[in-house]
Amino acid sequence: MRYQTLFLSCLLLLVASCSEPPKKESSAKETGAAETEAQLVARALEIHDRVLTMDTHADTPLRMIEPGFDMSVRHDPNESGSKVDYPRMIEGGLDSIFFAAFVAQDIRDDEGDSRAKALAIQMIDATIESALANPDTVGLAQTPDDAIELEKQGKRAVYIAMENGYPIGSDLANVEVFYDKGVRYITLVHSTNNDLADSSTDSKGPEHEGLSQFGEEVVKEMNRLGIMIDVSHASDDVFYDTIAISEAPIIATHSNARAVTEHKRNMSDEMLKTIAEHGGVVQLTMYSAYLRAAPGNPKRDAAIAAARANMKPPSEMTNDERGAMRQTLNEINQAFPDPLATVQQAVDHIDYIVSVAGIDHVGIGCDFDGGGGIEGVFDASEVMNITIELVRRGYSEEEIGKIWSGNLLRVFREVQALAEQKATKAAV
Amino acid sequence: MEARKRAALCLVLLVYCVDLQAHALRLSLCQIEYASEKQQLTIELRLFLMDVNEALVFDPDNNELALGQPSEAPHAEGMLLDYLNRFFYIKANGKQLTLKIESKRLNGEGDNTALGLTFRYPSQEKLTSLEIKNAVFTDLFFDQSNVVYVHVDDDSRSLMLNKSTPAHKLIY
Repeated sequence: MRYQTLFLSCLLLLVASCSEPPKKESSAKETGAAETEAQLVARALEIHDRVLTMDTHADTPLRMIEPGFDMSVRHDPNESGSKVDYPRMIEGGLDSIFFAAFVAQDIRDDEGDSRAKALAIQMIDATIESALANPDTVGLAQTPDDAIELEKQGKRAVYIAMENGYPIGSDLANVEVFYDKGVRYITLVHSTNNDLADSSTDSKGPEHEGLSQFGEEVVKEMNRLGIMIDVSHASDDVFYDTIAISEAPIIATHSNARAVTEHKRNMSDEMLKTIAEHGGVVQLTMYSAYLRAAPGNPKRDAAIAAARANMKPPSEMTNDERGAMRQTLNEINQAFPDPLATVQQAVDHIDYIVSVAGIDHVGIGCDFDGGGGIEGVFDASEVMNITIELVRRGYSEEEIGKIWSGNLLRVFREVQALAEQKATKAAV
Repeated sequence: MEARKRAALCLVLLVYCVDLQAHALRLSLCQIEYASEKQQLTIELRLFLMDVNEALVFDPDNNELALGQPSEAPHAEGMLLDYLNRFFYIKANGKQLTLKIESKRLNGEGDNTALGLTFRYPSQEKLTSLEIKNAVFTDLFFDQSNVVYVHVDDDSRSLMLNKSTPAHKLIY
């Protein structure tokens, strides 16, 4: 396994580590108190290599519909914004990933629904094609064991998911259509309310006061088929409705702890405890706004204010003058970029969720290509830095294995076992 | 089930990026619809108002143009069209459509306010090709992503256009 970006990342982490003492004693017990930073990193990378790593949320299918975008080619995230491709999964030691087909909420009528379904299927097909085109590198996965088997073959596992239940429309049969296409979790709702459920962020407020009646039917159908139910983006009421209705544990594929960072998209302590009590898992996301309160950027603000103070009224500018002003502002933004959240802040959330919900109920869903990407975990090639920070804080290999995939796979197995039970019962 | 609503082209994709200050993921949405029975081509463009203000007056929070509002500045639409003509076009059957805004409207609130623009064109010819360029805001943000949904009769496709791939041609 290659770690091309490791040196720089380790350097950053070395500096950052000085302020964060380990919270557990296990690393000292295992390695002795004199372990150097280099030894710690080497140990962490060995652990990272041994455990099955899984990222439960990437919006990379959005990239796959870019004409000419090739998942087998390494992309520079600072050039294109792309955060995941197969070479970078290999570099980062990312063994498995859920690619979520996302369709924006739009008109909620038969025509809108049918278009959303067609668009979702197109994105799923693009994901399948990209995996089939790279058979030496990746394989399509549909069961928990597929990821383990593919890792043994030296391949990355590609799971398919769907973010936003909008493409289901009002036809329950579509849930099975998507299951047959390989979808193994569905995020019930996205940034605004849909026919299934209320969103946590719809500016119009709740519409169903939780799950709609149809949303309840969808949850039961997902139980029947063996599709994991994702409550990220859903309102708190939807969360509790889903917990009450689902016979299987549920997941939040990309959400953090609200007590650490106040945001509607994050989960309260009560929600963390409840999801744990029901056997579910919260997958931590690497989205700066959900990891810390946004810091100010006073140097940039001052430089931009100065540039604006000297400019002509924009409506009187020539094209050349407009171009020059744009270049000036772009240079200021490059000189003083907004600081991203850090891997330490991300692992602060993991620590907190572990303290509230327990080690068996936390995982990782980076939200790459959907806004995710922080200092030290900017793209798929840097996910090993999460493991390094976990090791630094004293997490054991067993615990790290649970966080990276064990917990999610446990839920996945329970969801599929329930579906098998239901199928057997129905057959009898 | 609750009564199903026609949710008036809510801006959903645009609130995908919840925290604009974090500039997490820059997005715009373009929806192109051609219905042969109506012989009409409709283009809906949805842009964050902050991004529009940044592009036109170099200040995301400066609302002096008041686009889509009753107090819209007289020169605002002209400035917007000048900008769009540099970064956006649609060619139907090889012929570039002249951008003329039929309507403007605002959706959402605060940093997530979106400006919706509608363009509508009669089209009596059978549609054989659509070429779309959508590089809006790629001059502001290196990672701007412009999602395009194209619905031609019963055929729906989606594209992602950006700085490196600003245009694409679909054949029908």
